Amino acid sequence: MSGPVDPRPEGARALRLHRELSRIWATGPGWQRLAAVNHSVIGMRMFITSFVFFLIAGVLGMLTRVQLATPESVFLDAETYNQVFTVHGSMMLFLFAIPMVESFAVYLTPKILGTRDFAFPRLTAYGYWCYLFGATIVTASLVLGVAPNSGWFMYTPLSSNVYTPGVNADIWLLGITFVEISALSLAIEIIVSVLKMRAPGMSLDRMPIFGWYILVTALMMIVAFPPLILASILLELERAFGLPFFDPTRGGDALLWQHLFWLFGHPDVYIIFLPMAGVLSTMIPVFAGRELVGFRAIVVAIIALAFLSFGIWVHHMFTVGIPHLALGFFSAGSAIVAVPTAIQIFAWLATLSHGRPRWGVPMLYIFGFFFVFAMGGLTGVMLAMVPFDWQAHDTYFVVAHMHYVVAGALAFPMVAALYYWLPLLTGRAAVERLSVLAFWLIFIGFNMTFFMMHLTGLLGMPRRVYTYRGDEGWNWLNLLSSVGGFVMTIGFGLLLIDVVVQLRYGRRARRDPWRATTFEWAMPMPPAPYAFASIPHVGPQTDGVPNGELAVALARGEGYLGSTRNGWQEAIGVHVTSGKPEQLIVLPNPTYLPLVTALFTCGAVLGFLFKAYWVSMVMALLTFGLFVLAGRRAGLPRDHGPLPVGLGVSVPPHTEAASPPSWLALIGALVANGTLFTSLVFGTFYLWLAGGDWQAMPPPEPSRILAFGAIACLVVAAVAARGSLRVVMAGGEATGWMAICAISLIVAVGMVVDLITGITPHPSAHALGATASVLLGYVGFHAAAGLLFLISNFQRIRNGYISQRRCTDLRLTRLWIDYTLVTGVIALGLVLALPSLVTVLGARP
Amino acid sequence: MKVVTTVPPRRVWWLAAGFIVWCIALAALYAIHAIGCAFGWSPGALRWTLVLVFIAHLVVIGWMWGRIAKGAPDPGSGKTDSFLHDAIVWTTLTAFASGVLALGPPLLLSVCI
Repeated sequence: MSGPVDPRPEGARALRLHRELSRIWATGPGWQRLAAVNHSVIGMRMFITSFVFFLIAGVLGMLTRVQLATPESVFLDAETYNQVFTVHGSMMLFLFAIPMVESFAVYLTPKILGTRDFAFPRLTAYGYWCYLFGATIVTASLVLGVAPNSGWFMYTPLSSNVYTPGVNADIWLLGITFVEISALSLAIEIIVSVLKMRAPGMSLDRMPIFGWYILVTALMMIVAFPPLILASILLELERAFGLPFFDPTRGGDALLWQHLFWLFGHPDVYIIFLPMAGVLSTMIPVFAGRELVGFRAIVVAIIALAFLSFGIWVHHMFTVGIPHLALGFFSAGSAIVAVPTAIQIFAWLATLSHGRPRWGVPMLYIFGFFFVFAMGGLTGVMLAMVPFDWQAHDTYFVVAHMHYVVAGALAFPMVAALYYWLPLLTGRAAVERLSVLAFWLIFIGFNMTFFMMHLTGLLGMPRRVYTYRGDEGWNWLNLLSSVGGFVMTIGFGLLLIDVVVQLRYGRRARRDPWRATTFEWAMPMPPAPYAFASIPHVGPQTDGVPNGELAVALARGEGYLGSTRNGWQEAIGVHVTSGKPEQLIVLPNPTYLPLVTALFTCGAVLGFLFKAYWVSMVMALLTFGLFVLAGRRAGLPRDHGPLPVGLGVSVPPHTEAASPPSWLALIGALVANGTLFTSLVFGTFYLWLAGGDWQAMPPPEPSRILAFGAIACLVVAAVAARGSLRVVMAGGEATGWMAICAISLIVAVGMVVDLITGITPHPSAHALGATASVLLGYVGFHAAAGLLFLISNFQRIRNGYISQRRCTDLRLTRLWIDYTLVTGVIALGLVLALPSLVTVLGARP
Repeated sequence: MKVVTTVPPRRVWWLAAGFIVWCIALAALYAIHAIGCAFGWSPGALRWTLVLVFIAHLVVIGWMWGRIAKGAPDPGSGKTDSFLHDAIVWTTLTAFASGVLALGPPLLLSVCI
């Protein structure tokens, strides 16, 4: 029979493009899965891993509730109880909450912003492996009976050597810091990708609100985590080598830990809340059937919230003896932080009230969130008032508040998001009967468990007691709380069954089942490894186009990069504000390097844990070596000039662009690093003022010749870094300048080491010497890291990866050495000023 | 033909500018208060020092707000500059209000008790 062969050419073209892109982007089978770097794969792994830790932490929480259900219970002894509640809290916060919100960010952000992957896929994979290994160390410690037991915020002196002599605290300090490396690397990844890898045409005013939330959260992370990382390093130095930062008998101060911890801890609440608020701001307009009310007000509110959340860390320390006036700053700040939160809640309510809300399982959880978060917010304002906090501090009232704001603000939106995006993840539609029952069990169980804790707290039950007598009037409240815990657990069990049932028996979902407006629905369900067969352009021509139509057009390759080239994994880099295409980003293929690097990092951590410091040092050096190795053949080995990317646009590859992603990434890393350094300077002044006996110590007399010599060497290195960049940009050989730079850095490191060996008082004898040694160590470490930059530059020049047009590496080296110089001048200046500062202390009354 | 200009990326930093000054104010007030109490400054001198530091920061944020509010967005860059301009004005104003509310009233409290 003859007749027209078409209408299939468009479909055939889409299929061909799909096959070509899949071949380029797919992760291999079997063991090759370990080499995955794709954001969809890593995001999903992270989600599943964090959910597993949620289940483990949930079981630990249930153990505590069994213990507390009745007075004088012998279910757990005191030591086991201490380990169980410490790991429950640490795991929920560090191994579930933060990674869970990160997993949402990793999986969804590129898709919502209309791009194919993150800017640094290998960093995403490295972050995941670090998280998995760090979390495994903490979990294994519980099985071995040596888990952390000082509470999830590890207050000193309880967590110091005197009161926790075993490895319990070390496991927390090293394991959690390991996980924080993961969080930091992902935060930098997210910032760069949101700012530089949106769909072309997506200017900042057109960026979906989810992008704003994730961007602000990632910026908060790079500032919030460094104080805790510093605190963990200092406490580990105290525990391992006796440097007494937190020991008041040797010039330290236990409260320094609290300051550094809560400088992280309070913003962390919002780091968990904001991505979930982003999820809500994405889902609510879809279910309301109208645009989000107050887009600009919400953007202003989340920026305000981000800053205010940093300025109220002391509200966790109202009872430590800080004068009233200072408490007033933090009390007032804690009250007004409710305003930007309320702006968001009213914007959501206004969106619902002005729209035509549809009902669905995600909406059930959204209403659960409203109820729970409003409760937590109100008790938060109560605790912000100093007199009330003095009464309720360290009671179960705080435990209740904390669970309402952190658990409620995370768990309910998380499950709402799970049901909302489940069709995207699996390609299957929801079956809602079991889901509704699961919701009510979780909602009732949650409130039954945690509302009662307000009452036990007001009746005076202190947190963290492993048992009670039974005559305090807490019995029935504790029993109800425990019963509620079991109801909630059954609810989560049903939820799990429901998800499995949907995965197994759910019918195929139609495309864009919720009629949403964001780009993640304009792609195959479940998503292909390349996410979009071609990248959409955001503009009047695509505004209002249903996602179904858009998906078909993109699948046919009608957007940017609608064909393949050289087997490259391609994405588009855009201008930060306007979203104009400005570079072609060529992403790396799957590699085992992130896994191997994370294994060596894990070796360094374990070496420290088992006090095999040489092993640890070798592993750390191998880790740095692998980072340098990773850069050996990164990028493109020759100049290409502008390349066509579709829709009549040509842009240079990222290696030749003026503002490549790596430039922004290093700025982000230096912001994080600068925060750590600022925290160290804060710690120095704090101990100077609050530490014991500083004025009684013989003032340290650092060698001025060595100190000024080190500064001079850093100046020479900075000049040489500029020289090498200038020469390469002029088409010349930079070997001479690079040699000068390297020699200057080596001499600077030598001088700093010499200064450290001559410190008085000895670093283990008094916090004065310990502080000076850490300040100097910071300078030495950064100068040595500058050498790694130079080694990388040298091998990349030899391999042809650096040219007149491709000189980003040398710009990065210059920036690093500039940073080292600035912080070096401050740190060495502070060390030189210590004798005068100590003398000034004599003027105190 | 209409010439479309792009908003420079550095303009995004202005979204944080007001609150960065707010953070500096908080850190400065907290540090000076701690030093004043530790070194036994007279309550009057300490209070007036804190008030001066507080006002200085408010003046800086207020000046920034005034400058930003006066500058009109570039019509050539479309809605992006208008959006950023509004957001910057309002974050700076919010930082000013947060300064007045959170850092001002506590200065009336007893100084070192």
